[in-house]
Amino acid sequence: MNDARAVRLTVNGRAYDISAPPNETILDFLRYRLGLVGTKNGCDTGNCGACTVLVDGKAVNSCLVLAVEMDGAGITTIEGIGSPDRLHPLQQAFVDHGVIQCGYCAPGMIMAAKSLLDEEPGPTEEEIRSAIAGNLCRCTGYLAIIKAIASAAGIMRGEK
Amino acid sequence: MDGIQRSVGRPMPRADARAKVLGQARYVDDLSLPGMIYGKVLRSAHPHARIRSIETSGARNCPGVVAVLTARDIPGENSLGPIIKDQPILCGDLVRYAGDAVALVAAETEEAAEAALARLEVDYELLTPVMDPLAALEREAPSVHAGGNVATHFKVRRGDVEEGFRQAAVVVEKRLFTQRVEHAYLEPEAAVAAPDPEGGVTVWSSTQYPHRDREEVARMSGLAQSRVRVHQMTTGGGFGGKLTPHAQCYAALIACKTGRPAKVRYHRDESLIASHKRHPYVMNLKLASDKDGRLLALEATYVADTGAYLLEGRSVLTKSMTHVAGPYYIPNIKADGYAVYTNTVPCGAMRGYGVPQAAFALESLMDEVAGRLGLDPIELRRRNALDTTLPTTTGQILPASVPFKEMLRRAELRAKSLRPLLQQAPKGKRRGLGVGCSTRSIGSIRTPSRSTAVVSFQRDGSVTVACGHVDIGQGSDIMMAQVAAESLAIPVDRVRVITNDTALTPDCESTSASRVTYLSGNAVRLAAEKVRNRLLELAAQELRCLPEELKLVDGAVLRGEHGLKLAELFSKHTLHNVTAVAEFIPETSPLDSETGQGRPAGTYSFSVHLALVEVDEGSGQTRVLKYATFSDVGRAINPLVIEGQVHGGVAMGIGYALTEEIKMTDEVSNASFATYLIPTSFDIPGEIEVDFVEDPEPTGPFGAKGFAEGSTDPVAAAIANAVSDAIGVRVERLPMTGERIYELLHPPQPS
Repeated sequence: MNDARAVRLTVNGRAYDISAPPNETILDFLRYRLGLVGTKNGCDTGNCGACTVLVDGKAVNSCLVLAVEMDGAGITTIEGIGSPDRLHPLQQAFVDHGVIQCGYCAPGMIMAAKSLLDEEPGPTEEEIRSAIAGNLCRCTGYLAIIKAIASAAGIMRGEK
Repeated sequence: MDGIQRSVGRPMPRADARAKVLGQARYVDDLSLPGMIYGKVLRSAHPHARIRSIETSGARNCPGVVAVLTARDIPGENSLGPIIKDQPILCGDLVRYAGDAVALVAAETEEAAEAALARLEVDYELLTPVMDPLAALEREAPSVHAGGNVATHFKVRRGDVEEGFRQAAVVVEKRLFTQRVEHAYLEPEAAVAAPDPEGGVTVWSSTQYPHRDREEVARMSGLAQSRVRVHQMTTGGGFGGKLTPHAQCYAALIACKTGRPAKVRYHRDESLIASHKRHPYVMNLKLASDKDGRLLALEATYVADTGAYLLEGRSVLTKSMTHVAGPYYIPNIKADGYAVYTNTVPCGAMRGYGVPQAAFALESLMDEVAGRLGLDPIELRRRNALDTTLPTTTGQILPASVPFKEMLRRAELRAKSLRPLLQQAPKGKRRGLGVGCSTRSIGSIRTPSRSTAVVSFQRDGSVTVACGHVDIGQGSDIMMAQVAAESLAIPVDRVRVITNDTALTPDCESTSASRVTYLSGNAVRLAAEKVRNRLLELAAQELRCLPEELKLVDGAVLRGEHGLKLAELFSKHTLHNVTAVAEFIPETSPLDSETGQGRPAGTYSFSVHLALVEVDEGSGQTRVLKYATFSDVGRAINPLVIEGQVHGGVAMGIGYALTEEIKMTDEVSNASFATYLIPTSFDIPGEIEVDFVEDPEPTGPFGAKGFAEGSTDPVAAAIANAVSDAIGVRVERLPMTGERIYELLHPPQPS
């Protein structure tokens, strides 16, 4: 496309120089150009949170943010926070607390929780509910998610 | 026991949890194939119209377009449906709801396909639609299908209701309404299809029933079922909404016609407009009791709006009517249920399958009767509770595993401890406590339900289980592994459960009807026992003893202190694996078409829920403050999975009770998650108490039975009774939005 713009950004610590068409969301960029399909598309309208990623540490709905706005930005996705040998404490807590059912909301939910814990290592239950209020889940009824996030926060603070 | 670590009864995380938290689980839309093209569906904006012609040349000439397909291009049958095939894959003649599929565009990109949709010109002759189920029953109503608008009439007849009403001390009568709601699985519908080199087609599917996908794709494409292979990808929720393969048929049609792989994925708005919903009901009930609170008679007429196509409407309605008396014994019943066609979005299976509606109605009337008699609502329920001697609605006596009275006893204790909170409402708020009870038959209601499993013991001591029901997130894979591990005395992590490929698994019917644990669990147990018996027989020959003297213990066969390693046994007999097939089909008898009497299921599960709510007098908004559940699971195979199912089921019930409603103008008018409101983290109380009562089902695998839908069934009923208790007015319509409750609190003054 003619009005594509040059954008320099990092994704999970790796630098990319891309040519971004004006209508390309970072969700589409991540999923279809980089193949980082861990980030999910649930609604296209910023209402479900399944596409949550971190932009410079802040949780955003990646379906609502355009790639052209990302010049100089650092994006973190679910693929960037843990590995099969070394799950992030949030990922481990989601497994251990039996949170996972269909799993479609999980990547976005975990990224929203990470954004919270990076800023507030000891959140109240209310703060946890608030941090994931934009992340819909239809399987779990949220309570196990809230417990898992609180437990991961404890582990990340060095408590057990 | 015997030093073996037991598998059944242990809380264990699902095997796929790690892949899901890492973002490595692969859902359909995560899959791309070389040369793949994209399909988009043109949908009717009119609820009822005749298609005069479709002009496709404009769309064909759009850049990137590979094919434009209409009804004429379908090589096989242009119809699908789980009970009757009344829905065209692409409408050739009539459209019956705004959202009906008319044409399909395949293009190099999704955007190109979407752009070309606007260039299709359809010449419609508009017909008068019928949008209301009661209007659809009128003699002069437009017909949605040839043959009239009554898709099903199901009758229950027992005893003499008139006599029951004559003897009654109390008779209550109400008309209640429930709304149309959406499953709202987070992953919208999606499928990829590719032609295979031998002339068949392979489909990657988001589905609750891959073998149904295979059947419908085979019918549509004119291929033998053996030429169609369906892989279920990780599925992002279903709840009854992914049982009929529309997207799969579109993708397969494109693949068949173009020779290229094709993806069809719905965006959320399309999913909300086109996909089927839970049936809205209009329910008239009349319930009679004697002065001691013994129920005497129930007369009921339920009208379910099945929309433009039947889907599971006939069996959903049958489920409602066969559960019309809920978990109670009512000697005299006269009930009529009608599933009615209208020109609205179709309705079909959704978690609960006709029971949430019926429970809302009956439980509301139970509270009315209790109020009139001055009895505690739980006490009234106790006096009429089913046990192992009293017949269900269909006349079936359940000889075991009916812990309903024990559940009520526990609920009564919890209700007592919650009551003091009722007095602590802040100014401007009112509090209420409500109980909701339900029962449900496990498995299909209209036809016998069957599962088949293949269990194979490998020479290295690991085991594969092939069984065609799928795990859509509910956790059946881990539970099947636990059942197999328990039967074969091996650790759970040595069992691999394969469910997601029609080429490798027998058809076990759908993941629905709370049926998998009971039916497939039994099939897995029976097949595993055959394998165990074969191993013991072979070992008995070696050890020159009877198989009964032997015990299978983690990789070895023991006779007292002495043992034989299975590896030796395999080697000696040059066995590669020991494989057995078993099927399970519960003992049932068909429902009589005049009386609705019969034995439709092998077992029933019960639920008792308590809700404590707070209603804001100024806004009418309701908050659930406390929620307690008592669930009958037979035996808990995996408590962690069960707890997750209960939490999720209750959350879905809270949405049904308070906020969710699909609104129709000509089409679905709230087609986004900004306007269709499912519960968020703020709508769930601080705790959902989970208490399961274990009263083993003798015919279940290790005593287990299904229950998943039971966690949704009585939620709206319990909350409605709590809200009615809080505001002193009977709620007769769901959802209980702030606006509706405000109106009940502040009725308009007559001028």
